[in-house]
Parts: sequence; structure tokens; C-alpha cells
Amino acid sequence: MSIYSELANLPGVMAAGEYSYRGDRYHFEGQMEAEQARMASIMCRATTLATHMQANMMKALNAECGCAPAQGWMVRGEQFSVCVYGNIFCFVDNNHASINDVMQFLKDNVGEQSGELV
Amino acid sequence: MIKRMLALDGVQVVCQFRDDGELVEGYGMMDDQQIAGLARFAHDYKRIVQGNTDQLSMFTQMNGWTPPGGWIVRSDKVAVVSVANMVCLIDNNEASLNEVMREMHTLAHW
Amino acid sequence: MPSLESLIELNGVEAAFQFSAKGELSDFKVSDGSELTESVLDLLSHLCVANVSIASMQARGWETMTGMKGFYPIKGFTLVGFAWTAITNDDFGVVMSNDSVDYEAAYAALAR
Repeated sequence: MSIYSELANLPGVMAAGEYSYRGDRYHFEGQMEAEQARMASIMCRATTLATHMQANMMKALNAECGCAPAQGWMVRGEQFSVCVYGNIFCFVDNNHASINDVMQFLKDNVGEQSGELV
Repeated sequence: MIKRMLALDGVQVVCQFRDDGELVEGYGMMDDQQIAGLARFAHDYKRIVQGNTDQLSMFTQMNGWTPPGGWIVRSDKVAVVSVANMVCLIDNNEASLNEVMREMHTLAHW
Repeated sequence: MPSLESLIELNGVEAAFQFSAKGELSDFKVSDGSELTESVLDLLSHLCVANVSIASMQARGWETMTGMKGFYPIKGFTLVGFAWTAITNDDFGVVMSNDSVDYEAAYAALAR
């Protein structure tokens, strides 16, 4: 079973997926239409690339500030959050999910990111 | 070729970068390390702008935004201007932004 | 509204900081012996505000196109770095070591 399939089965996770850093492929599972998943993968990829660059810029300006290479990010809305680690993303219901469990699952299963976006 | 940008009023630095962010060539009132840093910043910023513009197109369903032709980041005294894989640092008080952009577009399509 | 004094007391928090809507660091507290500096926190503030802005654009677009509400307004951005995690909500943030990060406790304290 793939990481995103397992992730999609965690409590409160509405949908989960993975995208290629090149932007040419994506897969998903959960309560989301295919077009929504395509849009979500484009958004998450863009933010991941931006976050990596920002972390690298931070590192360039402050030697070894501990932020690069970026491992992941999370954005929190009123009802939902988006959690991303490496090239795996998920949409989470804030009221029914444990963000800690979701992020720990991602950390344990996606693994340490080297910064190589391939 | 890009060196001719320095002939325009207010252009302090010009440089060109590869698609991986490495400096190809650079000229002007900065040392080599600073010019390489400007190239790296411009490369990073270009990718961020591209990602955001792609999303703007996706959400608005409106053509004409992507791929972006360039960008300008402007502060009180200076601005960083980029078209294609070229970037300039200009003095706002001395440079004509229209002239700089026109010349950069010309060079980008050379 | 949370206070920097209460945020820095949270388990695992190395730094607590407050920033303006434009990303400028307005106040901060760092735990004893931490290597985090004012300069790092100022840059982090700008980074987080930049990403909240982008996420707000994404949330607006997403909600308009899909009709799926619940993202807007964006409350905060979290960066999971190599060694550190920065968690922000509105105009406050905390930095925690990845080894001892507790997202829920941080959000709960930041949302107070």
C-alpha cells in the first residue's frame, strides 16, 4: 500500500496524494474529485518549491539556521489544514484529525528530505 | 551582449543565469560573489513567480498570465528587474524603467 | 491574544516571536542558550507572512472554483525545517526543535 493511501485512511484525513516535483504526475486517494486533486497537487508543488527556496535563502543568509533543506510545511485554515512532507500532501479536517499524528506519520514514512527535488 | 545594459542610465549591475541558478556572466558595481548571489536570487524568485502565476491562471481560467515574461521588485531607492534569464539592479532615481524593460526584452529575444 | 511570556514557557519552544502584517519582527523571546537570533526570527516572520499571503490566494481560488469552503481566512503557516519547526498563527509564532515539536500544543497556545 502506498504512503498516501495509508495516509488517506488516518482519522480526519479527507484526501491524500503525491506529486512529482517536475509537475508531470500526481496520484491521490480519498474524498476529492480528480480535478480537485490535480489542482491540489499544483498548489502543493508550487508551495513546496517556494518553501525549499526560502529555506535555502535563509540558510544562505544565516549559516546553519537549521531550516534547510526544508522537510515540509502546513497551512491552517479555519476548518481545514493542508499538510505536506516531501512530495506527499493531505487535506485534513481540523476538528477530526490529530495534526501531530498526521505529521508524525508523514515524518516516519516519507523520510528525511535531502533537498534534491527529483 | 548583456554588458550593453550598463550603457543605460541607472543600471548598476546586469547578469545572466542558467536554469539551475548558476551565474553565466555578470557585470557592474558588485563583486563576483554578490553578482552570483543576485543571479541565485533571481533564479529562485523566477521559479516562485512562475509557480504563483500558474496558479493565478488555474484559478482565474484566464489566459495571458503564464508563462510570465519577467518581474520587478521595487524598493525606495533601487529595483531588481528580470526578464527571461537576465537580471538587472537599477537606481530608481536615475533609470528609466520603461527603457530598461524594453532593452531587456530585446536582449532576451536576441 | 497570546503573550510571548506564555509561549516561551511551552514545552520544547526555543523562541517565541510577534510580527506585523508585513512580516516585520516586532518582539521576541529566546530560551537560554538557544542559537536562534533576532535576525533569524525576522527572516522567519517574513517567510511565514509571504506564505500566508500565497495560501490566502490559493484558498480564495480553491473555494471559488470548488465551492469547498473552510480554508479562508488562512490563520497561519508552519515550516518544517531540517532541524527546526516554525509554527505561526495570526501574528505570533514559535520555533521548536523537530525532536520535540508538538503542533497541537503550539496551535492551542498561539490561538489563545
